[in-house]
Amino acid sequence: MFDIVIRGGLVVDGTGEAGFAADVAIQDGKICEIGQGLGAGRREIDAKGRVVAPGFIDPHTHFDVQLLWDGAAKPALEHGVTSIVPGNCSLSLAPLKAADRAAVVGMFQQIEEMPPEAFTIAFDWTWEDFAGYCDAIAKTLSVNVAPLVGHSVIRLFVMGPAAQERTATRDEIVAMQTLLRECLEAGAVGLSTSFVDVDEKGHPVPSRYADSAELDGLCAVLGEFDRMLQVVPEFYATDITLARIDQLAELSLKHKIPTTFSPLFDSRGNADNAPRAIARVEEQFARGARVWPQMQTRPIDLSFSLLRPSLFFARLPRWVRVLRQPLAERIASLSDPETAARMIADAGPDGGLAMLGSLVLRGGDGAPPELTGQTLAQIAQARGQGCARALIDLSLEHGLDVAFLAASLGHEDTSRIGPMLAHPLVHIGASDGGAHLASFATYGDTGYLFSEFVQKGHLSLEAAVKKITSDTADIWGLKNRGRLAPGWAADVVVFDAKGLARGEERPVFDMPGGGMRYTRDATGVDTVLVNGEVAYADGAYTDARSGVICT
Amino acid sequence: MTAEEAIILDAVIAPGHDGAAELVVSLRHPNGGLETVSLDAELGFHLMKSCGVASAADLPGKPWRRILEGL
Repeated sequence: MFDIVIRGGLVVDGTGEAGFAADVAIQDGKICEIGQGLGAGRREIDAKGRVVAPGFIDPHTHFDVQLLWDGAAKPALEHGVTSIVPGNCSLSLAPLKAADRAAVVGMFQQIEEMPPEAFTIAFDWTWEDFAGYCDAIAKTLSVNVAPLVGHSVIRLFVMGPAAQERTATRDEIVAMQTLLRECLEAGAVGLSTSFVDVDEKGHPVPSRYADSAELDGLCAVLGEFDRMLQVVPEFYATDITLARIDQLAELSLKHKIPTTFSPLFDSRGNADNAPRAIARVEEQFARGARVWPQMQTRPIDLSFSLLRPSLFFARLPRWVRVLRQPLAERIASLSDPETAARMIADAGPDGGLAMLGSLVLRGGDGAPPELTGQTLAQIAQARGQGCARALIDLSLEHGLDVAFLAASLGHEDTSRIGPMLAHPLVHIGASDGGAHLASFATYGDTGYLFSEFVQKGHLSLEAAVKKITSDTADIWGLKNRGRLAPGWAADVVVFDAKGLARGEERPVFDMPGGGMRYTRDATGVDTVLVNGEVAYADGAYTDARSGVICT
Repeated sequence: MTAEEAIILDAVIAPGHDGAAELVVSLRHPNGGLETVSLDAELGFHLMKSCGVASAADLPGKPWRRILEGL
């Protein structure tokens, strides 16, 4: 008798081949048989009318901290994600000396927007080395974790405060190589670095002080293990990104390593950006290099409040003048009837209906919860005001701590993005799960792949599954994951092909200390298994702790 | 303004990677080369101030070197 049999579903095995009706039998955490009419299991899962696929793999997350108290990386698991890669963008929580914790916490708070309590009340610091961090999270994992080690923390470990002051000496580079080697032997799947990120003081993170000799030396160590280099390039400027692609290609060829960079996204303001980057990637792959661009599936929403100057108003001169004032003066100006009247006139003869009416009140801040999710047009109508007036008054009534969202303003053109996601050299990723907590929800990109791009015919069901399972496992060298085949890890998601999607963005207060983050629920996911144990079913997480550090 | 320096061709508002509004500035260099750069709020407003404009719509035609002023 098998441990589990998932019976009667459409098996989409991750290879890209056409789905087929079959049962999937699981024994001792692995797929042991796939076929029709398999024998009984101690537990039977009815998958009729459902797709049975390998668990999804998310290659770009920042769950490093959350994993210390939430081994499911919620809500990633309920979206069908069974393996995640944390430690991106040069930052990981190990190796890290006790004396350097405050510095790295500041960097994490800058990137993840994690509340301070997350680092003071949610867990005990029990490690300094990479193996110790892996041990600390491994006890309660429900998802598999393939961790990167951050270049910034390696640099900090070796150089101390000088890591944010200067290039490294030859001896320091050798020490970093030794440390990276230890991390890779302890389970790191690669090294992440950044040419962009800053700490909470606005200073460049340590990795940005590295010279080419240092990066080359670290890549030589990656080459010993055939492991990944992940990079955040200067994505705000296409030509610099192209230069970074060339640099990554040289490192890939010299050290025989895979490389990946993120983010790469489409924008009306820079329509040539993604196509040019992909064209350069094609050229470098033709030379034998491996430079994988990561592209997210979800559109980019724009959000703002009047608490901080936002370029959302950059074409409204009177708004610009007022919003750039210091806070007290800004509130006084917004409260001044004549000034407000001029601002409202700026917003158009319809009182801002066309320009501002579709903005959505986000919630999770000072705004009344009952208004969360409503459009400004709805709110204005209920108040008997124009939209611009309602925006100003509502903000004033709540200390300006009212956030508005303009949905899908970037990376939103499915007809352009669909073919890019389907491109064989484009790596679907860059979700940023676990980061930007107070800005937007970084979850549900996998569901959106199906609800938007599969439903509209840009990818077949099988191609979409392949993109986020076996392709990802192959790119990252994750062994025995990403496919449904006998002997492979039983990471499985059972879902409704028509109903798989992401829920609406909503604020929740489940961070340590009651901190807020935006999240999205999954829809269409029935059951998720991790290493042969049911980790999520019927809309609820189970007690399974079957996740592992996977390499 | 001379043909010997980079000139702003266009400036549009777009959401950045982090969901904040950015100013996407298109430039033409003296050799005819075109370039696009995304500026965050701090730099975007700085460019507008340096160029003496209150609206991003008035940036086209201004010299790109102004972004260096006051930094």
